[in-house]
Amino acid sequence: MAHISAGVATSHVPLIGVGIDQGKQEEPYFKPIFAGYEWTKAWIKKPENKPDVVILVFNDHASAFGQDLIPTFAIGCGEEFQPADEGWGPRPVPVVKNHPDFAWHIAQSLIIDEFDMTIINEMPVDHGLTVPLSAMFGEPDAWPALVVPIMVNVVTYPIPSGDRCFRLGQAIARAVESFPEELNVQIWGTGGMSHQLQGPRAGLINAEWDQKFLDDLTGDPDRLRQVQHIEYLRETGSEGIELVMWLVMLGALTNPKELHRHYHVPASNTALGHIVLENRS
Amino acid sequence: MGKDLQNYKDAFEDIPGTRVFTTERARQGYWLNQFCMTLMKPENRERWLADEKAYLAESKMSDEQQEALLARDYNRLLDLGGNIYYLAKVFSTDGLSFVQAVSTMTGMNVDDYKAMMDAGGRSPDGVRSIKEGN
Repeated sequence: MAHISAGVATSHVPLIGVGIDQGKQEEPYFKPIFAGYEWTKAWIKKPENKPDVVILVFNDHASAFGQDLIPTFAIGCGEEFQPADEGWGPRPVPVVKNHPDFAWHIAQSLIIDEFDMTIINEMPVDHGLTVPLSAMFGEPDAWPALVVPIMVNVVTYPIPSGDRCFRLGQAIARAVESFPEELNVQIWGTGGMSHQLQGPRAGLINAEWDQKFLDDLTGDPDRLRQVQHIEYLRETGSEGIELVMWLVMLGALTNPKELHRHYHVPASNTALGHIVLENRS
Repeated sequence: MGKDLQNYKDAFEDIPGTRVFTTERARQGYWLNQFCMTLMKPENRERWLADEKAYLAESKMSDEQQEALLARDYNRLLDLGGNIYYLAKVFSTDGLSFVQAVSTMTGMNVDDYKAMMDAGGRSPDGVRSIKEGN
């Protein structure tokens, strides 16, 4: 049977991609950003940890989805997804390969479980999906894991609540458990942590709030489920709202144990956060 | 949900220096944002950079939005329904990074903005709520 072995969360700052694509990892600005991923890169290579499939919860940044079509929750079921051209040309990273049978299984299970997913067969994938892959896997010729993309609208309000995201994660876990193939599955939550990219308040960072959020992923998940949009907006900046995607990951885990944490300010306009959680189901 | 929805949205307007992308803003900014999406193709970026006004003539966005776009006045564009992830296509086409573009909305020059970020970013203290002044 398929099983979820771990949850991984990370910010998806475009600058991380720039740092990798332009070979700047050793520069003083970038060094502390990348240092915190070294543990994870070594961990994820070990045969017992290496995922066959990553369920990657991410948001599109007006790349695949403009205002013409705004799904709240969507799942990629197509064979593969190409890197998007976000205005500066596509990132030079491998094509993202799906496990379509598994993705379709999850899609069906979620819909029967009353999560009305939009199905995506064609989708360019932007930094929201490719930067986390680069951060964890570096620069391989092909990504070492298959990827099932789960897209969450965090751009146009109202976006889904944190609790709804958590419950989607629980439903994803039920879907995974009922897939007959033997698969080591990881679920990744991406985006965050505190950042605001717009208006006179841009540049807002709230390290204290972020660290408490990281603590409570294992310490008090019930508190995190109840955090309202307005609190994310006031405390973590308008783009800090992306943290609801970490709750999809959290909902899919049982009694998670923290294995590794990385927090660094700044990465561009953003507080970079990264955590690895063992699933103890 | 009627009254709750209004309360939900009213709270957004209480955050200083912030434009939450509500459905009202999304509707107002529709053609502006859809224009930005066209810049994801290199041939469109070339046409735009070669003659911005001519390229804008094909868009249904308002005159105000066109003026703000030509002036790269990002705060004004937010006020007119623009969303930062759409507008990113414009400043990326200009060759600006997120830090360079975002700093223009803060009233700080880019070096001061970078120095603020390097020192830990903008504190939330005092910019959580207009009403509460905290």
